[in-house]
Amino acid sequence: MLLILLLVVPLLAGVVCLFIRSQRVLEALNLLPFAAVAVLACVLGANVLRNGSAEALEGFLYADGLSALVVGLTAFVALVCSVYAVGYFRHELRSSKITAKQFHRYYSLTPLFVFAMLLVTLANSLGVMWVAIEGTTLASVLLIAFYNERTSLEAAWKYIIIGSVGISLALLGTIFTYYAAAGVLGADSSKGLNWSVLLPLAEKFNAPAMKLAFVLALLGYGTKLGLAPMHTWKPDAYSEAPVPAAALLGAGVINCAFYAVIRFQVLATKCLGVAFPSKLLLLFGLASIIVAAPFILAQRNYRRLLAYSSIEHAGIMVTALGFGGKLGVLGALLHMLFHAVTKPLVFFCAGNVQQHFATPYLRKVRGAIHVLPASALLLLVGVLAMTGTPPFSIFQSEFTILSAGMAGGHGWLVALFMVCVVTIFAGFLSHIVRICLGAAPENTPRAIVCPWKFAAMMIVLLPVIALGIWLPRPLFALVQAAARITGVAP
Amino acid sequence: MNPPLNDIAAQWITLLATLMLVLQLFMVVQKELTTNIRLFALQSFLLATVAALVASTARAWHVFFVAALIAGGKVIFLPWFLQRLVRQVQISLESKPLLNAPLAMLFCGGLVLLGYVAARPFASVEQPLNNILGVAIGQVLAGLFMMINRRKAITQVLALLAAENGIFLAAISLTTYGMPLVVELGIFFDLFIAVMVLGILVYRIRETFSTIDVGRLNQLKG
Repeated sequence: MLLILLLVVPLLAGVVCLFIRSQRVLEALNLLPFAAVAVLACVLGANVLRNGSAEALEGFLYADGLSALVVGLTAFVALVCSVYAVGYFRHELRSSKITAKQFHRYYSLTPLFVFAMLLVTLANSLGVMWVAIEGTTLASVLLIAFYNERTSLEAAWKYIIIGSVGISLALLGTIFTYYAAAGVLGADSSKGLNWSVLLPLAEKFNAPAMKLAFVLALLGYGTKLGLAPMHTWKPDAYSEAPVPAAALLGAGVINCAFYAVIRFQVLATKCLGVAFPSKLLLLFGLASIIVAAPFILAQRNYRRLLAYSSIEHAGIMVTALGFGGKLGVLGALLHMLFHAVTKPLVFFCAGNVQQHFATPYLRKVRGAIHVLPASALLLLVGVLAMTGTPPFSIFQSEFTILSAGMAGGHGWLVALFMVCVVTIFAGFLSHIVRICLGAAPENTPRAIVCPWKFAAMMIVLLPVIALGIWLPRPLFALVQAAARITGVAP
Repeated sequence: MNPPLNDIAAQWITLLATLMLVLQLFMVVQKELTTNIRLFALQSFLLATVAALVASTARAWHVFFVAALIAGGKVIFLPWFLQRLVRQVQISLESKPLLNAPLAMLFCGGLVLLGYVAARPFASVEQPLNNILGVAIGQVLAGLFMMINRRKAITQVLALLAAENGIFLAAISLTTYGMPLVVELGIFFDLFIAVMVLGILVYRIRETFSTIDVGRLNQLKG
């Protein structure tokens, strides 16, 4: 029942929004359902901690620790984005950047987008998960093309074309998984793609088929995750989408894609042993971190900067999974959690700066601290947190991941990892300090604080600071429960 | 597990799959958009026939349903939708591709070979259908190549759909019944929405850039 509600609430909200014109009602129809989803996600987390896993609709929906964790993150990101969106889009309407029609489009597509994200994590069948991931792409394409400018159309086109190619590889991967399982499934093949059916049988899968399946799934879902060299859509999409949509992509969809990668990694590891999947994960993960570094150093656009940071973090998560072992898996999941909590803050602050200065270019923005004190200060805090500075939480997850690398005997890779992360830290800090500090360009007015945007930033700031010093016990238990499904119980 | 198909059905299916690949190669070198859409419709028709053959010989009724979906969706509806789009944007000829026709043909030959190499571990005597996997992978690769090789947005959509036909063929060849029905339905649903969304984008690109040449989408860098 809980699982069904989690899906029905956003779906219904989205469908109702299609027929509503009143702007206040539209805002409420995003805020309230997402708040409800957040509550339901907490209940789901508690349920899963108590009972291990939950099923609904005769096994069509299924949630274990990993699903509950990702559902929680999705719900959190969706909620804070909807709070921020109120302030953001009212501002865009006032400055006539958008029309009432576009306003309506955002509010009716977003619940459908969130519905697709939740379905990714709650679907039992790997096939339905595929359908849902493609659904997230389709629901977000028009959000990327939102501003109807030449560049936004370009970004949207690249996003859907690259995404569709990637996702069709993932479909092939899913088919090969089905084939790999067919020999041991026996007669009951209508549920043959269900995770709860596949997991106990994974050791007996046809190995060559599973190998091919894993490669294809990693390429496919890796495209969605933004791993190099399939990352090229990301900077375009993140910089062209309106800020709340970009934050949903950068802090929400990324977890869903990583979730899919974990599922296939677990099956592949059970069937083929640790070595083969690890090698591939390390290859793509480190490639992404390495690719991100120079682009961050030489970046001229701060919205694109965030996209490269997201490529880096996707790389870090995948690398952690590749390092493997208890520490590696724990590090990967903690990193996913901390990243999803921190990223929206940076997106929101960058969005405020962009709305005030009306430019995404780094060289045109100076002295934000004088005209936008709160946003600029929080941008600095957010960037420090995101680049892994102690005492913020991402430092801890990165430290765990590095320990996992050392424990696994990957000394050189750890060194490479560290060089890149430090370079990215330096690059970020030099860019962000330059836009925050200094003297503001003349005749830039002081911004009026928008209560909605401010509230959104405060809601995010709380866990960003708190998680650095204190990880609540139930949350950690949930992360551990999620880690347990990978078979390396901590 | 896969039930054995009788030999005649298996041979027919192999023949039809090969014809699909031949049509795919025609599409790679065909410049006229409307002809290309017709080729795609024909290819989808062959796919629907394959699915119907599988359904009738293996007595798998849900595959009939899938065959009907292919016939209704990919043979009739999507080609109609794309033809209408071509009329709306008033552009009917592909511009100069990356590789010219003979080179593209040669390259696709290589891709089909690659497909066969990749499919070798799955070839078997007992499961004759597994042997069309090579054709299916070749078709997917040729479709993806067509996407890179061509400039017009509509052709890229068509190439994506053709590659999807190849994936479908792979599903039939590996598992006979294809995927579970709910997954098939989901895939179809996604495919239709994708084509609608792509259609909207093509239309807007045409309005904004007064061309549908995706080579012109080159402002975002770094």
